[in-house]
Amino acid sequence: MKNRIYLSAIVFFLALTSGFSQSETISPARKQAIDSLALEKVKDLSQYISIIGSKETQFSEANRVMDRAEELFAPGAEMGVSSINSNDIAYYKVRRYFERLMALNYDRVNITWYDIQYISDLERQPDGRYVGVITVYQRFEGTSIETGMNYKDTTKKDITIYVEKKQTQIAGRTIDFWDVMLGDVRVTETSA
Amino acid sequence: MRLSLALFAVFFISIGFVSAQTYRGSGTVIDDGRFAASTKQLNQFFRRFNAEESPDGSKRYYPGDSLYHNIPLRQGFIQILFDNQTSSVNPSLKKEFIDHVLSGVYPQYINFHRDGWFAEVETEFIFNGRREQATLFLKIQPEGLGYEWVIEEVSFPTFQRLFNKPQGENKDFLHPLSHELGFMNLRRAFQDSGAPESYTEKAFSPDYLTLFLYEMNKGNLRFETVKGVKFHFFQIDGWYFEVNQFNRPGFNTGWLIANLVKLNPGDQETILDFIYDQN
Repeated sequence: MKNRIYLSAIVFFLALTSGFSQSETISPARKQAIDSLALEKVKDLSQYISIIGSKETQFSEANRVMDRAEELFAPGAEMGVSSINSNDIAYYKVRRYFERLMALNYDRVNITWYDIQYISDLERQPDGRYVGVITVYQRFEGTSIETGMNYKDTTKKDITIYVEKKQTQIAGRTIDFWDVMLGDVRVTETSA
Repeated sequence: MRLSLALFAVFFISIGFVSAQTYRGSGTVIDDGRFAASTKQLNQFFRRFNAEESPDGSKRYYPGDSLYHNIPLRQGFIQILFDNQTSSVNPSLKKEFIDHVLSGVYPQYINFHRDGWFAEVETEFIFNGRREQATLFLKIQPEGLGYEWVIEEVSFPTFQRLFNKPQGENKDFLHPLSHELGFMNLRRAFQDSGAPESYTEKAFSPDYLTLFLYEMNKGNLRFETVKGVKFHFFQIDGWYFEVNQFNRPGFNTGWLIANLVKLNPGDQETILDFIYDQN
């Protein structure tokens, strides 16, 4: 299902890129298309996080979803987490972060997302790839039945996106397309 | 123009009156306007300062768009780009700054790729087994096909304590006929003196960044974590401002101007010396 969505996004890009093949700059129209694809990936990540965190998700299913979630990220991506009480950033590999989320000691976990996101401009890196940041907000609620403890927080997630021009072969023709990968994520607890 | 100001006002007034987060049927939490109002990224600080996006941040304005660099929109944005809760920026100074930036004759903008702004990053390192604070100063520079952040300076109190060059009568010296003795008195200078920097030229200034990198390469200095970030801007002629991140309840949050100084001749160097804290 997801692969089909991404494929359609890539096709959309092909249509957009065909008129711009000589130029490496990203036009507003192409930027908008890249934003849409990047947002799709962020939404998928949000959905995967909700599934991994949910206590109703079986262990094997959570592991399968973690695999899918990991595929969204560029190799070596890390989550940098800080809280209201400490500005220190704790670093976790993406997989480790998901495993910690799955292992949280609550009987009921509810993860929801705010209906707001902010997408930065794309800046070009020395290696020619473009980089941007998408900001989203997550609300977490965990309940422990035994202790009656109810924990809530809202976190801001600043998610790196890497945008790269790639090539593919379609019917013997080499065609350029733009692909998006997620990178490091900064997780900050907010006062909201 | 009047329409854009009205739109801006309606947007920010309306988000100010809604007080609670609500849930939509799908499980999505509807923002009560606080996150929309927050300057969520430094990128948004640039866009708002220059009026290069819509009031809610959902639409990017480009040259040729009717509201791109629109003066009333900028005025509304810049007003909310100040920390209005804890910083004591004088209102008349703020007004003078806004008037200066929005000048009809020579409006001024901030630019991501231009010199005149840099980041100050508070970090923690383990140095010889002990936890130590270090402040890194980073700037944007062109490199290869794009840009990169690079370290320009470091302030590391542990090193600074090591370099305390005595002045005047307290300063040891190599007497002016030392050469006749084949500089044999260097032994006393280096072995007996507790401050070998006494024997350096007037213009000597320790290069802390080189020392810092040396210690890191030798394995004596290990990065631990980042504790805070702020930004310094000198891009507006005759003005300096500092941008900090405010993570607190309410609508005046995110990346905001925490400090504003009108510069007289020579002030920029004084402020830079203070920020870099190299002495």
